[in-house]
Amino acid sequence: MTISPSDVAPQGVLARPADVPAISAVDVSKRYGRVAALDRLTLDVRAGEVFGLLGPNGSGKTTFMRLLAGYLLPSAGRLTVAGLDAVRDSLAVRRRIGYVPESAPLYRQMRVGEFLAFMARLRGLPEATIADAVERVVDRLALGAVVDKSTRALSRGYRQRTALAQALIHDPEILILDEPTNGLDPRQIIEMRQLIRSLAGRHTVLMSSHILSEVEKTSDRVAILLNGRCLGVRTIADTPDLEAWFLSLT
Amino acid sequence: MRTLRILFAKELNATLTSPIGYTVAAVFLLVLGYTFSLTLFVTKVANLQYIFHQMYVLSILLVPVLTMRTFAEERRAETLELLLTAPVRELSVVLAKYAATLTLVIGIFALTLVYAVILDRYGEPDWGPIYAGYLALSLHASLLVAVGLLMSSVTENQVVAAALSIGTFLMLWFADSVSYLLPPPFDSLAINLSLIGHFKPMVSGSVFLSDIGYFVTATLLALFLTAWGLEQR
Repeated sequence: MTISPSDVAPQGVLARPADVPAISAVDVSKRYGRVAALDRLTLDVRAGEVFGLLGPNGSGKTTFMRLLAGYLLPSAGRLTVAGLDAVRDSLAVRRRIGYVPESAPLYRQMRVGEFLAFMARLRGLPEATIADAVERVVDRLALGAVVDKSTRALSRGYRQRTALAQALIHDPEILILDEPTNGLDPRQIIEMRQLIRSLAGRHTVLMSSHILSEVEKTSDRVAILLNGRCLGVRTIADTPDLEAWFLSLT
Repeated sequence: MRTLRILFAKELNATLTSPIGYTVAAVFLLVLGYTFSLTLFVTKVANLQYIFHQMYVLSILLVPVLTMRTFAEERRAETLELLLTAPVRELSVVLAKYAATLTLVIGIFALTLVYAVILDRYGEPDWGPIYAGYLALSLHASLLVAVGLLMSSVTENQVVAAALSIGTFLMLWFADSVSYLLPPPFDSLAINLSLIGHFKPMVSGSVFLSDIGYFVTATLLALFLTAWGLEQR
């Protein structure tokens, strides 16, 4: 019997107490001169849950995700990911996360399989396991039909799936998805929702959206962001009318 | 080291699959071929000094075309976000781009070795200045590529990156001209900043450590600033 990478624990799993959150932000701010993109944001994301960030454009969702992914540095506050300091242990944090930016960027000179193998190498997977890892994500995200195609020839749906595949290639503990259903058609949105739900438990998923129904149907808990501040956090199960709660806060 | 190798392979592949590199190589060799034939038939002297000076000028104009896309294109296509959120040090990204672009430029220079072979076949060239000339050109290319990367890292517009690079190279080229207008010690500083002032002695066969030091220091400074700039995000 062979064990596929998906049968073993995610690469980044740390031996840490169960009550330590997967992501913890305490008074995190990001300033550009006098403009605060994030203003003393405090929230926790529990291990294994799907956590939704809800807010209008410019509310600070992308900035927060970029801070977690190590693309930006916070101006103030403490940010821990998988129990590690996101600034001091940035490289170790980046090994434990998979990140899909909003625009789902791909290298246009590469084919899909080539791109996934490149990202696997970059994430430090041993050479002997790369072919298996690519095959695993290609199967999981149904990319078989396009694996030999150039990334520039992909439809929006396939682009999004390829971007998610690169984020999953190293089987990370935490997935950060910025507007994962952006630009997808209704069928693709449903498929993406199902996919994100299927990742819960095994991975911690932090996703952002400015669409109420997306967060409602996908997440276990939700935080509402506005002007860089967290206005509240609730479980979806305890929020029968998310729309009314959102309107009451904003 | 493995990461650096992976990134270098990706950069080299991107360079070799883009038409820009081939266009630059074609223009470079066409202009040089014309100059070489003309000077050889007119002067009938077996040296490459004139060619080296022409390569110096052409590099200033053409290297920015090769470096302009390195970071600016990644920033525009947002793949830089993908790269810098992977477990990769900024310095590795910079060094890989530098090494891949320099490999291409040195590769184009290497094609001009055919002129030295022709001189050797039909004359008796003095090989000292030829070796020194190629050393000077390699150091010159190294500096231009490093500064070009720095300029590309500060913008997402490739044309702006190229314009900034050419502007910087021209200012370095003519830095010694300003020295007449400056009081001491700024006049000698301007003279020492001059690109041509450090290039000229080498192509005539006089290799000084101070000239090598100028190119190496400027290259390292530009690479350091590029990596530092990427870290300040």
